[in-house]
Amino acid sequence: MTQQQPRRWVHPALLAMVAVIATSGLVYELVTGTLASYVLGDSVTQFSLVIGLYLFAMGIGSYLSKFLEDRLLERFVEIELCLALAGGLSAPLLFKVYTAAAAFRFALYGIVVLVGTLVGLEIPILIRLLQFSVDLKELVARVLSLDYVGALIASLLFPSLLLPKLGVHQTSLFFGLLNAAAAMLATFLFPLDRAVTIRLRAQCVLIFGVLAAVFGFVSRFVDRAETVYFGAPIIYTAQSPYQRVVITRSPRTTRLFLNGNLQFSSDDEQRYHEVLVHPAVAALGHDPKSVLVLGGGDGLAARELLRYPSIERIVLVDLDAAVTDAFRKLPVALELNGGALNDPRVTVRNEDAYKFLEDSRDSFDLAIVDFPDPSNYAVGKLYTDAFYHLLRERLSFRGVAVVQATSPQYARESFWTIVQTLEAAGWKTAPLHVYVPSFGDWGFVLAGGEHLTAPGALRIEPTKLRWLESSGLPELFRFPRDIGRVEAPVNRLNDQKLVAIYAREWGVFTR
Amino acid sequence: MDRRAFLTTVAAGWVVDSILPGKAPIAGRIIGASHGVGHLVRDGGVPAPSGPPDRADVVIVGAGVAGLSAAWRLAPAGLDVRVLELESFLGGTSTWGDDGAAPHPWGAHYLAAPNPEARAALRLLEQMGVVKGWDAAGRPRFDPRVLCHAPQERIFYRGAWHPGLVPQDELDAHDRAEMERFSRFEDELTERVGADGKPVFQIPLAFSSRDPDTLALDRISMRAWLDREGYTSPFLRWYVRYACLDDFGAEPEEVSAWAALHYFAGRKLKTPELDGSHFLVWPEGNGKLVQALSERARATVTHGALVTSVGTSEGGRVEVRWLDVRDRVPRRTHARAVVVAAPAFVTARLFPAAAGRLPVRTSSPWVVSNMHVERPIDPDMAWDSVLYDAAGLGYVDARHQLTELSSRTVLTYYRAYGGPDVVGARKSLVVAPWEQIANDVLRDLAPAHPELREQISRMDVCVWGHAMPRPRPGFLGERPFEPLVLLDERVAWAHADQPGMALFEESQASGVRAAEAVAPALGVELGPSWL
Repeated sequence: MTQQQPRRWVHPALLAMVAVIATSGLVYELVTGTLASYVLGDSVTQFSLVIGLYLFAMGIGSYLSKFLEDRLLERFVEIELCLALAGGLSAPLLFKVYTAAAAFRFALYGIVVLVGTLVGLEIPILIRLLQFSVDLKELVARVLSLDYVGALIASLLFPSLLLPKLGVHQTSLFFGLLNAAAAMLATFLFPLDRAVTIRLRAQCVLIFGVLAAVFGFVSRFVDRAETVYFGAPIIYTAQSPYQRVVITRSPRTTRLFLNGNLQFSSDDEQRYHEVLVHPAVAALGHDPKSVLVLGGGDGLAARELLRYPSIERIVLVDLDAAVTDAFRKLPVALELNGGALNDPRVTVRNEDAYKFLEDSRDSFDLAIVDFPDPSNYAVGKLYTDAFYHLLRERLSFRGVAVVQATSPQYARESFWTIVQTLEAAGWKTAPLHVYVPSFGDWGFVLAGGEHLTAPGALRIEPTKLRWLESSGLPELFRFPRDIGRVEAPVNRLNDQKLVAIYAREWGVFTR
Repeated sequence: MDRRAFLTTVAAGWVVDSILPGKAPIAGRIIGASHGVGHLVRDGGVPAPSGPPDRADVVIVGAGVAGLSAAWRLAPAGLDVRVLELESFLGGTSTWGDDGAAPHPWGAHYLAAPNPEARAALRLLEQMGVVKGWDAAGRPRFDPRVLCHAPQERIFYRGAWHPGLVPQDELDAHDRAEMERFSRFEDELTERVGADGKPVFQIPLAFSSRDPDTLALDRISMRAWLDREGYTSPFLRWYVRYACLDDFGAEPEEVSAWAALHYFAGRKLKTPELDGSHFLVWPEGNGKLVQALSERARATVTHGALVTSVGTSEGGRVEVRWLDVRDRVPRRTHARAVVVAAPAFVTARLFPAAAGRLPVRTSSPWVVSNMHVERPIDPDMAWDSVLYDAAGLGYVDARHQLTELSSRTVLTYYRAYGGPDVVGARKSLVVAPWEQIANDVLRDLAPAHPELREQISRMDVCVWGHAMPRPRPGFLGERPFEPLVLLDERVAWAHADQPGMALFEESQASGVRAAEAVAPALGVELGPSWL
């Protein structure tokens, strides 16, 4: 190595490198801040915590830089590579630990401190590396100004281009790749021992490869098109043997999707679940003690039921453990269902509802039937006269059932087919409907013995509810002419007419 | 819960899995009828028994539907009933398998909702809880879980599956017109009554009209009938051929038009509950009916018993000689009455005195294959998947009637050898090794399921040399509907060969009839007939 005279000139490739590391440093901060606000909510608190912690960690890094003395060039490349790995993998890693609520905060702040420290090390070391070849005045001016320009670029690109087009995962991985590329560039810009150069370049290639592989993998399981499709950031996904579970969260709203179909939106789910549960309790005519919930793995119907102190026991049968597990554990879910699925009065059983009814010898006061719409033969079986016969055998003498029955507005004949089928199975029915902004006009059917009548008053203090009140009950049971009763067939196991009717009616809207 | 998505997911896992090398080849074996041992009777290689005889009130030869029905009918009398059965299983061609993802049929796999006249069948179904009650018009109400669930059938035609048994989208105007004409004819024929006031086609057959015009249909083949009536649409002719193979294991030219038209016009029950499907289906097929009969039969069944002769009545007793095939010891049992529930050709050898009176039947050979599917082969599976251009009829899904989702199932493939040379077909099938039959099945299904070999873990096959009587033209004979029941004072005959059509109701009725016929010789009062 020969000692050179300080120049008043910085290599353009070096300047590009500085811009890249500056931009990526800020992108990591934005990625973690965004994830924190998605997952934990309260974005002001999360962003200000992440920014403060990050800047503080940068200070730690700058301070620590003074302890690095030997082989600065090697250290610089290694720091770049560590940063590529830690920053690049931050989003996928945080996403992975999200299911364990306590671990998430720990991992989040840990990553923020780690990335901040590494970024804090970069600039002081870079300046020390260049101080003998470039005039210090020029060097500080150029490097620091580019550092701030990089920050501006990042803060402009992140909300406008990166987040909407790439999403958090791929953004963090993409800048990890850029960091690894910058490290590689450094091995060309600075003269180094041949053996060391080879080792460093091999490390660069290795880490680049790891990040590229994760990038490819992530793009498969979190399709970018999906976030666009769901209209909000995805904070949880799971693939069960039965369906794909997706939970999205925007600052105001949490939504659950099963196989891409909206199950509820936190904006207005209270309308759906209050109308599903409370009129049925009112129609029962006495305080319910034992309740059977079929479907309803999100625990929102159970939450409404647990408002009645008389309830001793709820058996909730939902096929998919991926749904019930998520709604037992995720903080965002617990916020919505109040931990209903963890209540000692609630027993969750992950099995087929049809099989459960066939095998069970239990008796219940109330049954809440909240299945997905009858869009195929497998679900259609849960809407047949045979199924409703079995259901009746599980209810006590004066028992009442309520059945989710799709939209009488969009699928009028489907709705009345369900009513007709319940009646063919020997139930007396009282259909009702409610406007749920996320879904449209939505229908349910109360079903019971000869005594069943549309209830005139709720059996719960209205202050305990968010939307429904006794004076609103008659309106629920009134069907205007355009959604009124039409002639409809009985849905039978050996002739699932409902599946065809449903496909025809909803097909018009989904085409 | 979305079945298609569920199956696709599991299938995706399989794609990854299949790239990995070292996939084990499928396993399998030939199960079923003991041809070699059975032919000992034909070849006369059994020595006479020497030890003292054991005694029973009744010996029933054969534990198929007819034999078990005879035992079922005798159960209320509380007699000592012995059933001697060669095979290790019950039910004959209605037997079933219990291994794998679901019980599955090894032969007959459905029962069309019986007419009110099939009283014995309805009595059994009522005992099973399948008949839930009766409506005001006296028609049975069935447990909807047992009626074949939707979707019932689909057909593979020119590279794609179509719902139903006929690819409706592929028909031209001529095909449509003929399908409609045939369908109208079917409806009219179902309602038609003969000059004697009886329905022209009824099941049980004995309740059918004896109108000579209708009986004349027995003198021509179904193929000749189609030609005579001017049916030329290939789809219609395919559909009729499918029906003949499905019911009788025979090509239309091998089947009496009278018998074939029973398939289309013999079922009279019309209720809203039966609109979608009037087939009663269990995962194990008619094995469920066999279990129900045997549970209620109160008889002792001895398996591995090859009956070699049935003597004539002497001193109020009949000697039945049989070979215990496990220890090869010849034995004899003295009974006060015997029901021979075996095909006509076997009965003629066991009881030569009646040989001249027994009808001569041709029987169709079948291959049935049970494929254990570990990964879903298709998200849109129906109960019955039929292939238009294939040697076999297709397959049924054993899990179809079960409500729980599973990626594993058992598919039962059927192939009838319907040509005139049944002896040649039988001879080559009996010596065919498992690999050859399995490969034939895979090749036959390959157009619809090219990856089948990778999707199944096991394929067992069963060769039924004499699966069912073939009602050839003229099978009704000189005196139709007057079955030969008593071969002797104390020896009765029961089998589907008696009417000549293999229908559960017919086999069951023949067993019941035989039991009721030997009751006087036994000195027991069985009460009013169950027929």
